Amino acid sequence: MFRFIHSSDLHLGKRFGNFEGDLPSRLREARHHVITQLAAHAREQSATTVLLAGDTFDTETPAPHVRRQAFAEMAHDPEIRWVILPGNHDSLQSSQLWTTLKAEAPENVVLAVEPRPIELASGVVLLPAPCTTRRPGRDLTEWMDGQASPDGTLRIGLAHGAIRSFSEEGAASEVIPPDRARRAGLDYLALGDWHGTVSVDPRTQYCGTPEPDRFKHDAPGTALLVTMAGSSSIPDIQALPTATFVWRSLDLHLLEGDAPEPALSSLLPASRERRNSLIRVVASGHTRLAARADLVAAVERAAPDFAFLELDQDGLATECELEDLDQIDRGGALREAANALLAESTDERRPLSEREIARAALMRLYSYTQAVTS
Amino acid sequence: MKISALRLFNVKRFASRGVAIEGIGDGVNVLCAANEFGKSTSFEALHALFFQPHSGTPGDVQRLRPYSGGNPLVEADITTDGGSFRITKQYYGGRSARVLDLGSGRLVAQADEAENFISSLIRGGTSGPAGLLWVRQGITGIEKRSRIEEEGEKQVRQSLLESVQGEVEAVTGGRRMADIMAAAKEALSDMVTATGRPKAGGRYAAAIEQRDRLAADEARLAAEVTRLRQALDQRANAAARLVELDSPAEREARRAAIQTAQSRFDAAKAQNEKLKTAEAELKLVSERRNAAERELKAFTEALGKAALLQSSLSSAEINRAEAIKRRREASDAIEKARENVDLAEAEEQELRERLIRFDAATKAHEAHKRLADVKQRLAEAEKLRQSIEEGEAQLALLQIPTKSIEELQACEVEIAKLRAIDEAARPSVSIHYEADTAETVTLDGKPLADGEDRTYDGHARLEVAGIGTIILRSNRPSRSDNQLVQAEAARTALLASMGVNSLSAARDRQARAQQADSDLRGSRDRLSFVAPEGLAKLREEVEAGNTTSLEGIDLDEDPALLRTALAQAEERRKQARLALREVEPDQSRADDAFVAAETRLASLISDQAQLAAILGPEEARSERAHTLSGTLTDLDKSLSEAEARVLELGTDAGDLASIEATLTRARSIEAAVDKEINALRETMAGLNAEIRAQSEEAVEEKWRETSEALTAANARMAAHEKEVAVLQRVTTALENARSEARELYLKPVMAELGPLLRLLFDDVSITFDDKTLLPQTILRNGQEEDVDRLSGGMREQLSVLTRLAFARLLARDGRPAPVILDDALVYSDDDRIEKMFDALHRQSRDQQIIVFSCRQRAFQKLGGNVLQMKDWQP
Repeated sequence: MFRFIHSSDLHLGKRFGNFEGDLPSRLREARHHVITQLAAHAREQSATTVLLAGDTFDTETPAPHVRRQAFAEMAHDPEIRWVILPGNHDSLQSSQLWTTLKAEAPENVVLAVEPRPIELASGVVLLPAPCTTRRPGRDLTEWMDGQASPDGTLRIGLAHGAIRSFSEEGAASEVIPPDRARRAGLDYLALGDWHGTVSVDPRTQYCGTPEPDRFKHDAPGTALLVTMAGSSSIPDIQALPTATFVWRSLDLHLLEGDAPEPALSSLLPASRERRNSLIRVVASGHTRLAARADLVAAVERAAPDFAFLELDQDGLATECELEDLDQIDRGGALREAANALLAESTDERRPLSEREIARAALMRLYSYTQAVTS
Repeated sequence: MKISALRLFNVKRFASRGVAIEGIGDGVNVLCAANEFGKSTSFEALHALFFQPHSGTPGDVQRLRPYSGGNPLVEADITTDGGSFRITKQYYGGRSARVLDLGSGRLVAQADEAENFISSLIRGGTSGPAGLLWVRQGITGIEKRSRIEEEGEKQVRQSLLESVQGEVEAVTGGRRMADIMAAAKEALSDMVTATGRPKAGGRYAAAIEQRDRLAADEARLAAEVTRLRQALDQRANAAARLVELDSPAEREARRAAIQTAQSRFDAAKAQNEKLKTAEAELKLVSERRNAAERELKAFTEALGKAALLQSSLSSAEINRAEAIKRRREASDAIEKARENVDLAEAEEQELRERLIRFDAATKAHEAHKRLADVKQRLAEAEKLRQSIEEGEAQLALLQIPTKSIEELQACEVEIAKLRAIDEAARPSVSIHYEADTAETVTLDGKPLADGEDRTYDGHARLEVAGIGTIILRSNRPSRSDNQLVQAEAARTALLASMGVNSLSAARDRQARAQQADSDLRGSRDRLSFVAPEGLAKLREEVEAGNTTSLEGIDLDEDPALLRTALAQAEERRKQARLALREVEPDQSRADDAFVAAETRLASLISDQAQLAAILGPEEARSERAHTLSGTLTDLDKSLSEAEARVLELGTDAGDLASIEATLTRARSIEAAVDKEINALRETMAGLNAEIRAQSEEAVEEKWRETSEALTAANARMAAHEKEVAVLQRVTTALENARSEARELYLKPVMAELGPLLRLLFDDVSITFDDKTLLPQTILRNGQEEDVDRLSGGMREQLSVLTRLAFARLLARDGRPAPVILDDALVYSDDDRIEKMFDALHRQSRDQQIIVFSCRQRAFQKLGGNVLQMKDWQP
C-alpha cells in the first residue's frame, strides 16, 4: 500500500492586485499557509509524500522571500517528502529558478525537473512530465508509454497541463490525452493546472488548487489523499479541505414581490465565516423599484462583514408599477420626470445603453425621493 | 377696492398748503400736470397712506415732510364691498390714523385699528398683491432694485399665481424637487465639472488617474517581464548549447578529428619533399640535354655555311677588281671635259669685252653731236624767264579787284539817289512877278527870278523891295544827312584803296591790267615749250656735254660680226658644260660600286673567321661531330628516366592543399567551439545577473498584480462613467420636468398677457423667468432677445402690460385693486402710447386705473376721466 497527497497550483507569491486594502496580503499569506495545511494533513493521514503537480510558484522569477520561506516551511517536517514539478507558470525555461531551487532545496524536497523515473518507495515509481517551457507545444507525457518498469511496480504519473480543451490559460495545443494513464499503464496520473477538482477517470485526477484564487470554480480548495492498495486496484481518493478563504458566486433569483433582504440573508454564510469569504451575489429575476433599492442597501450593509462582497445586478430586471411612481410623487414635476425616465427605459427604439441609463436614473430618482421623504 | 378722492396737506412742496384730487371714478382716470406741480407728491402720499404706518418715520415718511418741517397729512376716500370710507393719516406731530365710514359718518377705527383696517384692504402691505400694481416713475419693474423690494414683489407675484393655479410646490415639485435636484447635482459635482469633464480631485478624476497610472505601470512592467522572459529564454538556449558543446564525447570527437588530419598532413608533406627533389633533378637533366642538342646543331650548321662562304668569297674578289678599274676610267673622262669647258669660257670672255668697248665709243660720239642744240635752247629759255618776271611785276601794279569796282559803282548810284531824295523834300519858294513889276525879290541875298523854284533849308529871308523882308520858316527839323555822308565816305575810302580818283580811272586801269596778263601768259607758254623739263635740267645737260671727251674712241670694228662671234662662243661654252655634267655622275657611281665590293668582301672574311672558331681545326672536325652526337644520346636517356621518376612520385603525393584545408578546418572548429563556450558562459553570467536582479525585484509578480489592479480600475472607471451618466440623466429629467411645470404654472398670467401683447406688438411671445416670475426673454421675428436689452420704451410697455395682466388676475380672484401709474410711459412714442391707451381702456372695464403724467399733450388722447388738483384745507 502506498499513500500520498496530490496537490497543485499553489501559486505562491500571487499578489491579487484586483483587490484593495489588506485583502491582497491576506490572500497571499493564505497561499503560503497551504504548505502548513498540506504537511498537517500528511502527518494526520500518515502519508509521507506530497506531490505538487506544477505551478507551485506564481511566476518564473519568484521573489527570494517567497521560495525561501516556502522551503523553510517544507523543511519543517523532514519525514514528509515533497516532490515539486515545474508547471507552466514556473517552467524549466526559467533555468535559473530551478538552478537556485536546486541549490536551496532542503533534503526532503525533490525537484522533478527531468522526465525520468524517480523511485518514491520500493516498488513505487514516479514518472514526472515537467513543463519545459511556458507553452511546450507538445504532449510531455508521451515518454511515459515507453518507460518500462518491473512487474508489480506501482506507476504514478505527474503532469501539468490541459486534458480536452479546458485550461487555465485558454486555448492549448499541448493537450494531454485523457487516456494517458491507460496507455502508459499508470496506476495513477496526478494532474495540475485546472484550479477546480476534476476526476477524469478513476486513475486520472485534477486535484484543483488548495487555495482558490478566483470565482470561476465555485468550489472549496482541497487536496487529494490518494491511497493505492496495489497495482491493478483502483486507487482510493479522498478530498481534504485546505483552503483559508472561500470564493463563492451566489445566485439570488428574485420574483416580483419577493423581499430581497431575507433571500440574501439566507444565501450568505454565517457571520463568523464571512471574514474569510469572497462573495459575488449574482442577482437575477424581476424586482420592483423598492425591492431593488432594498437589495442594494442590504448588500451595502452586509459588505463590511466580508473579505469581499459585491452585487452583480445586471441580470435583474426592474418592474415599475404605478404605485412605485406614486412613491416618487403623485403628480407635479417629479412625477413627470419619473414618467419620462420610465418611458425612456422601456422604449424599444432606443439603444440598450440609453435604456439602461434611464432605468438606473429612475432607480436613483426613487432612492433620492425616499431619502428626502424619510 | 376703489379710490374716489385723495387729499393731502403739508406734504413736501405743499408746506402749510393742501391739495385735493376729487372725483376719481371707475375706469381710467388721468391726472395730467406739468412737472413740479405736485403730481409725484400726490402719488407718494397715496403710497404712504396705504403702506406706511402712521407711527413710524422711515425714509419714505421722512421724504413726505416739507423742508420747513411740519406734520404731513394724507387722506383718501375709498369704496369697497363694505362701503365707502375715508382714511386719514398724519405723521410726526399729532400722528394719527383714522377710518371714517362716509355713509354713516361714524369713526370706524383709530390708530392701530385703523392700520389693521388699511392692511386688510391691501392684504399684506407691499408684499401683498396690491403692491405690485403701483408703477412708479422710471421704475419699469425690470430694472435693478433693492433685493428686499425685489424679493417682496416676487413673493407677491408668486402668491398671486399660487392662489390662481394652486400651490406652486405641488406643481413644480417644490422643496422636494429642489432637494433632490441639489442632491443629484452635488453627487454629480463631486465627480464632474459643470461642463461634464472629470473634476480635478474628485472620485471620478481619481479613478481615471489611477487607471492611467496603472495602465502606464502595467505597460512598463509588461515590457520588463517580456525582457525578463527573453533573458530566461536566451539563458535556457545558451545553457542547452553549452551542454551540447561541452560534452566529453563532443570534445573527444573534435580532438580525434584534428589528430587524423594532422598525421595525414605530415605524411603528405614528406612525400611532397621527395617529389620536389626529383623534379629538380629532372629539370637539370633536361637543361643539359637541350644544351648538347643546341651544340650539335650549331656545329652541323657551321659546316654547311663554311662551304657556301668559300665560293662567295672568290666572286667578291673579282667584283672588287672590276670596280677599281671602272673608277679610274670615269676619272679620266671627267678631266677631259673640264678642260673643254675652260677653253670655251675664255674665248667667250674675250669677245664680250670687245663688244662692250665698241658700244661705249658709239655713245660718246652721239652725245657730242647733241650739245650745241641744247646750249641754244638754254639761252632762249633764260631770256624768256626774264621777260616773264618783268610782266608779273607790272601786272601786280595794275591789278584792281573787280569786286571793288562794282562796289564803287553801287556807291555812286546810292549817292545820286540820296541827293535826289533830299532835293525833292526841301521847301521851295517861287515868285511869279506881275508883268510890270520891275523889282526883284531876293532870297538870302540872291535874287529870285520869275517862276524860279528855289529851295531852302531851315529859314530864308525874302527881301522885297518896297515891302520889306519876308522870313520864310520851313519849321521842319533839320534833316539828317547821315546816309549821304556815309555813302560819300565809303566812296572816298574805295577810291583811296584803289589808288584812283574816280570810277572811270578805275575802269581804265582794269583794262590795262587785263592786257598785261594776256602778254604774260604768252611768254610762259613759250618757256614751257623751250624747256619742257625746266631750266635746271637744261643746264645739267649742257654741263654733261662739256665734260665728255672723244679721246680713245675706236669705231673700227664691225659690231655685227662681233656679235655673231660672241653668240657662237657662248654656244660652245654651253656644250662643253653639258658634256662635263654628263660624265660627272659616272665618278660617284664607280666609287659606290667600289665601296660595296669592299664591304662585301670584308663581311665574308669575318664570317669565315667566325666559322673557323666554331669548327676548330679542319682535321678534328669529324671526330668532334661524333662526340657531340654521342653526348646527346646519353642525355636523352637520362631525361626519360628522370621524367618517369617524377611521374611516379607525383601520383603518390596526393593533394596537399586539400589535406591542409581539412586540418585547418578541424582546428578552426575546435577554436570556434572554445570561443563559443566562452561567449556562452559570459552571456549566461550577464543573463544570470539580469534575471537575479529582476526576480529579486519580483517584476513578474508586480506585473500580474498591476494587471489585475488595472482590470479592477477599468471596472471602477466604467462604474463611475455610468454613475455620471445616470446622475446627468436624473438631473436632465428633473430640469425638463420642472421647466415644463413652470410653464404650466405661468399659464394664467400668460393667458391674460397674450391679448394685451397682441394689442401692441405683432407676433411677439414672451417667456417668464422661473425665479422672478417676470418677463425674461421675448421672441419676435424668430429671434430671442433678453428683456434687459430691449429699448426703454418697450420695457416700460411690457412692465405696464404685465402689471395689468396681474391686476386682471387679481380681479378675477375677487380682489380688485387699482392700478396706479406714475409717469410710467416716459419712453414710449406717440403711436405706442395710443396703443397702450387702448390696452388701458380695455383693462379698465372692471378695473380702476389712475394715471399720473406730465405729458399733457400726449395724454390728452388717453381720454377717460380727467382729474384736477384743487387747493384744499383740512
